Amino acid sequence: MSTTLDLHSHSEASEDSRAPLEAYLNWLKLRRAERPVDGVVLTEHRQFNKEADYRALEDRFGILVLKASEVETDYGHVLVFGVNDEMTRRFDFANVHLPAQEVIDEVARMGGVAVPCHPGRPNVGLCEHYAKKPPLENVIAVEVLNGGSRKGEDERSVELAQARGYHSVGGSDSHLVSLIGLCATRFEAEIRTIDDLVRELKSGEYAPVDFRPRRKPVPHATPVEVKQA
Amino acid sequence: MSNANNLTYETVQIGDALGPAEFYLSKDQVRAYAKTCGMWTPRFTDDEAARKEGLPGMITPGNMSLAILSKLVTDWAGASGARIVRMGTTYRQPVMPDHTLTLQGFVTHKNESDRTAEMDIWIESEEGDRLVIGTATVHFPR
Repeated sequence: MSTTLDLHSHSEASEDSRAPLEAYLNWLKLRRAERPVDGVVLTEHRQFNKEADYRALEDRFGILVLKASEVETDYGHVLVFGVNDEMTRRFDFANVHLPAQEVIDEVARMGGVAVPCHPGRPNVGLCEHYAKKPPLENVIAVEVLNGGSRKGEDERSVELAQARGYHSVGGSDSHLVSLIGLCATRFEAEIRTIDDLVRELKSGEYAPVDFRPRRKPVPHATPVEVKQA
Repeated sequence: MSNANNLTYETVQIGDALGPAEFYLSKDQVRAYAKTCGMWTPRFTDDEAARKEGLPGMITPGNMSLAILSKLVTDWAGASGARIVRMGTTYRQPVMPDHTLTLQGFVTHKNESDRTAEMDIWIESEEGDRLVIGTATVHFPR
């Protein structure tokens, strides 16, 4: 049995989102035919809420909710899956200059997986840092499909993954309710817990999936210079 | 889906769409807005001067993007008596004039206690990039 998860989303717990989890889940229920995702992973910016318990909402909507974090490093943003007490003691998640290599190695040693996200994005993505610094070691996967990417960013991410032999994941990076589940990752195995997710991320048995609707092309306008009097 | 003719708190449904509406934004409109608002600075008025600031050309003031998005919401609300009580936006990329913008939104949730509806709203480029994203809260009278 396969499982499709949106691996990257931000609820109102992140400072730049106003999306309540309940609204996300309701939206996925409404759009089930277009976005057949089985669950979402909340990857709040620079934090991890160990106490948050979403089981009542999971039961109500029949959608899996897992918790992770998006941290900021000297190689850009990184999704950390399988966060535990050891990790939150080892790293200050609020630090926007975490050492990426240490995050990747230590998170793996502590039982999790760190996945660089939107690597093709300027400033906060791996590609730009690889142009200036040595590549990171022990990267298992990168996010090659991101719902917030601009033109060309995902293409750069795909090139990076292919060149380095990284596995590929997808996530909506949603900060708005209506954008949840547009990009996701389909795993070959059944996933019901964060431990399952970590295990499967290590396995490489998954692929990004794109549920974004095909867009009607908008013709480019012809620029007209109007001379000022 | 609800529409402006019968829009009330009760008829609005989660999932209702605002737009999509295509909108051609000219450089003259941006210059006029900038001048009216006392923002007569090169980045909003002149391509070459904007490029000297490292921009790809003259850009649209953030307040103008906000205003354009507010029009998407007020057009949707029509004569229903509903009014915007809050809007918030995030500016992801510069909005370049002399391009066709697509404005779009969706009602995402409703709050019975204060008769408000929340909606996502955004401005898309011709390439489909979301340049400005945001949310709005609209209150419906009884």
